[in-house]
Amino acid sequence: MQVHHNAKEALDKLVNDSECITALLISREGVSIEESGNTGYLNTTALAALIAGMFTATREVARMVGEEHFSILLQQGTNRHIHISLINETVMMVIIFEDYQRIGKVRYEAKKASEVIANIMQPEPEASVEKLNVAGFREYALNLIDRIFDKPQG
Amino acid sequence: MPYINYDKQEIAFKIVYFGPGMSGKTTNLIKIHEILDPQKCSEMVVLDTEEERTLFFDFLPFDLGSICGFSVRFNMYTVPGQVQYEASRKLILDGADGVVFVADSHPSKREENLLSYQMMTENFVSHGFDPVTYPLVLQFNKRDLDQVMNISEMNASLNKGGHKTFEAVALKGQGVIETIKEVSKQIVTRFEI
Ligand SMILES: Nc1nc2c(ncn2[C@@H]2O[C@H](COP(=O)(O)OP(=O)(O)O)[C@@H](O)[C@H]2O)c(=O)[nH]1
Ligand SMILES: [Mg+2]
Repeated sequence: MQVHHNAKEALDKLVNDSECITALLISREGVSIEESGNTGYLNTTALAALIAGMFTATREVARMVGEEHFSILLQQGTNRHIHISLINETVMMVIIFEDYQRIGKVRYEAKKASEVIANIMQPEPEASVEKLNVAGFREYALNLIDRIFDKPQG
Repeated sequence: MPYINYDKQEIAFKIVYFGPGMSGKTTNLIKIHEILDPQKCSEMVVLDTEEERTLFFDFLPFDLGSICGFSVRFNMYTVPGQVQYEASRKLILDGADGVVFVADSHPSKREENLLSYQMMTENFVSHGFDPVTYPLVLQFNKRDLDQVMNISEMNASLNKGGHKTFEAVALKGQGVIETIKEVSKQIVTRFEI
């Protein structure tokens, strides 16, 4: 799966238009793909992993009540709130915002951005697949694993 | 299949620590975090503490480094031990590139180990993992206890597939690095695009 540069632009626009603090795209595997807005206060690696876990749990809850999935998750805090939505089967969008009065706007902008981003995401073009030499990768990675894991034990 | 982002040149593998509750899965991640270069492990997220056994995983990201221009990371997760969370356990194996099964060596845990092991192999089947070639390492933990099961007995019950095993005292960091090293190598060896 390829995430185009334009996904970042769409995310930037979302931050701007919805006046949220932070917006992220997170893969189903729990990896942060794109980030926009203020992220300095956030451990985005951990956030991505936790949100992906939360989403899988929620998907199971949805199935229990006879739904395929819930397309939006909303977490309301005292000062900060999180809006999570599905872009497609494998990608989620996370929006962190402060003024709960703006929920309507956030939801509207989220929907707009979702559509744009879903369209941008393309299957991997052949050319970039060739960029990675698998045999070379394996050999180098195995060496690196030896070096890293042998060291700390003396 | 790991997560690959060609645009940002990133590859992330997912390793899951599976096993019955209290076998030492969280302790494994804590020790890896302590032993390895702190620059390579970012912050660890521990949700499954003694007080909060209901929550569903711990998480530790580990940066292997740059390989062929790609920055490569292992994301390590633990699953909750309790049987009632079968649903979340299954979901956490979603997209896992390799698994470490942590068994408790105390004789009273024989049944629990087996039950958890069976649940894991059922999950493998439901995810379409080939139980023979899928990267899997068994860790027989808590070898420091006064009473422990024989290794041959544990192999007979948990290792019909003949996977690689390690004896460990995770609490003292023994066997922890050997285990993660082996599963990482199996994952990389099997890596394809
Ligand atoms: N004696 C002994 N205790 C251990 C060892 N590893 C973990 N423990 C203890 O077993 C308990 C459960 O460990 P934990 O890592 O939380 O198990 P988890 O439920 O699998 O995550 C804790 O009290 C640990 O300190 C070990 O090698 N030997
Ligand atoms: Mg635990």
